[in-house]
Amino acid sequence: MSFSIRRLYRGDTSWDFLGVSRRVLTGSIIAVLICVVALFVQGLNLGIEFEGGGVWEAPASEDVTTDAIRETASDIGMSDARIQRITGGDDIFRVRGELPTGETAESVGSALAQAAQVDSELVSARTVSPSFGDEVAGKARRALVVFFILIALYLTLRFEWKMALGALVAVAHDIALTVGIYAIFQFEISPATVVAFLTIMGYSLYDTIVVFDRVKDNERSLSLKTRMTYSDLANVSLNQVIMRSVNTTITSVLPVISLLVVGSLIMGATSLQEFAIALLIGLLVGSYSSLFVAMPLVSALKRREPHWTEQDRSAEVLSESNSIENAATALAADRYDRSAPPRPRKKGRKR
Amino acid sequence: MVLLIAGASLTGVLSAGWTPVLGVQLQGGVEVVLRPADEVSDEQFERAIEIIRNRVDAIGVAEPDITRQGDQVVIQLPGVKDKQRAVDLIGKTAELTFRPVITFFDPLDPNQLAAAKQVVDGSGGVEAENVDEETESSVSLSDLLTPPDGDEAAATVALLGSTGQTGFVLAPAQLTGEVIEEAVATFQGQWIVNLSFNDEGALLFDQMAVENYERQVAIVLDGVVESAPTINATEFNGQAVISGSFDEAEAKNLALVLRFGALPVEFERDDVRTVSATLGEGTLRAGVIAGLVGLALVGLYMLLYYRLLGLVAICSLAISGATLWSIIAWLGESKGLALTLAGATGIIVSIGVQVDSNIVYYERIKEEVRRGRAVRSAADGSFRAAFSTIIWADLASLIGAGVLYQLTSGTVRGFALYLGITTLIDLAVSFFFMRPLVVLVARRLVNERPSRLGLNVTAEEAPV
Repeated sequence: MSFSIRRLYRGDTSWDFLGVSRRVLTGSIIAVLICVVALFVQGLNLGIEFEGGGVWEAPASEDVTTDAIRETASDIGMSDARIQRITGGDDIFRVRGELPTGETAESVGSALAQAAQVDSELVSARTVSPSFGDEVAGKARRALVVFFILIALYLTLRFEWKMALGALVAVAHDIALTVGIYAIFQFEISPATVVAFLTIMGYSLYDTIVVFDRVKDNERSLSLKTRMTYSDLANVSLNQVIMRSVNTTITSVLPVISLLVVGSLIMGATSLQEFAIALLIGLLVGSYSSLFVAMPLVSALKRREPHWTEQDRSAEVLSESNSIENAATALAADRYDRSAPPRPRKKGRKR
Repeated sequence: MVLLIAGASLTGVLSAGWTPVLGVQLQGGVEVVLRPADEVSDEQFERAIEIIRNRVDAIGVAEPDITRQGDQVVIQLPGVKDKQRAVDLIGKTAELTFRPVITFFDPLDPNQLAAAKQVVDGSGGVEAENVDEETESSVSLSDLLTPPDGDEAAATVALLGSTGQTGFVLAPAQLTGEVIEEAVATFQGQWIVNLSFNDEGALLFDQMAVENYERQVAIVLDGVVESAPTINATEFNGQAVISGSFDEAEAKNLALVLRFGALPVEFERDDVRTVSATLGEGTLRAGVIAGLVGLALVGLYMLLYYRLLGLVAICSLAISGATLWSIIAWLGESKGLALTLAGATGIIVSIGVQVDSNIVYYERIKEEVRRGRAVRSAADGSFRAAFSTIIWADLASLIGAGVLYQLTSGTVRGFALYLGITTLIDLAVSFFFMRPLVVLVARRLVNERPSRLGLNVTAEEAPV
């Protein structure tokens, strides 16, 4: 198994994905465990949409300090408020805290505007009742459960239940890792991040389906004439889709990075930032899990089927040194037979 | 063909002057999520939303979006000027009041407007001199009418009837909707509304009837005169009948108004968000720039990697973009649906999905060519397999979008909508545009030189 960009580019890689899957899976399991532990120990940093409270944002000028804002906040009874100066593009002050009794979102806003020495029209505010967050979270949970059930049904109908299981485990793995990273770094969870998590699920499934589709396709075209084991089949399929996976990941990640860098760091739009971080992590983890988590799992399940056990056994009898190359050749030959009558070799350009 | 449709729809949208309606987070404004404090019937809920809509119309917001999402009402007022007033007004539990009519005016007659203004100001304690000065200058309707949140019980007010054709100058309220116990519309030769009052109300109503005998009393709700029946008795004993030339719907509506007062539902404010115009514009600008940079990077990558096919991918993106723009503009124009921040980010993300369809197809072609197939026949032959993959994968996205749209609200829902739309566009563009163009490119331009497609594999090198 030699690594070569050139071979990857030409698409004639023959990497043994499943061979390394045991080690990779162990790594994944450890990572997921760390994330779960972090989730329970540290908990999540929930945004006001889930906890209730208020957030005010005012443009920050050079000569107003964060302390001045903090003082004003304490004066109106918001001494626990969290006050940040967010830099990047035009600076803003962000004040988050419980709305003090006797104050309204507007009165707090105008007090802060005065402290920040800006017109109160320029202050953005948001207040959320605590019960609202429960409801948002409840709805998201319900949607998630229905989504999982429907996708499981869909994949079972389209492929088979073993693949459905593999795909869902991969998705669960992605979500666990992304949420875990949020817990570890204490990034704030907002509805935008929830949306990002959902997108990640979609991407990861999409990726996994592309892989499975190829495996099914190959399984059909193989018929019984070759002595391929299911692992070989899986490996060949993975090698066939690897370039597509790499390219898709790159083209999906580019806009997200642009959103993160241009949108939030240069222009200072925080609402874009929350979204982009979750997406970036999720996209990378998602493409990884389609190749290294979903498929090995399915392969492990499939190998127990009588037909594939048989294939495994006969493969053992034969020399197995070159099984992947053999399989690839067999598959390619099979393809070629079906595709067209033999045509004369075309003259390629010599280089 | 698709080119034509996309081009035509874009020109249509542009020439009609439609532009996407931007959400609150993208242009500043107010967003309020309300939820009933108690259990309410569907009828009450719908009625409440209707009232909120009337109030919003009264403030004069250009593109309000008021939708019921499950047991919540989501009100979006992009670009609204006086944000705090808007927030206060929306959820306010205004009262139903009974006000004796002082005089009527025709909203179109300037002389009558001036006269009415004098009456209103005069009773408000303004000195006579000022009143005279004002009558000399012309009085516009908006000067005269009491603003929607100025409907104070103790003030003399100028209001319009529900059809907007009659103006009323009304004395301070003598009775509020709280004293009404029951109001039912019944048919007795004609449609009438039967009213019954509680003990306190019965007393007050009789008192008002004595003072205003054979004069009209207006029933005012939310700054609108719903009805102005003439009092034709002085003793009601807690029972009154309002008759007139009602049809069934009018009578039932009046009964509903009387029964539930202003807002039949008491709302809790779940989420109130005001976004300043500068912050909104900043976010919009950041999003647009980020989107363009992202697109440029993706385009560049595709060109470097797939050469001519990359060009096809860029064209596909352009077509999808044009179609999407048309759809968003159309949704904004016809349904008042705004493009939200979540929706916009969803669209930026969907660039990846769109490009992926191209990649799946191209990789198939490359694979076939490596096996020794001619570029031409590979382009034709690989589409079936590639498109089937695209369909199955897109179907999973659609299921996700559907579930999210049905079961969630607010941000997540907006995202689901645009995810669904872009996925459908992806399917259509892949089938009707990408395939024919790739086949065309393969036939005309490549001339069996795979390197032009980013295939640096010559036949001799290809493993067989």
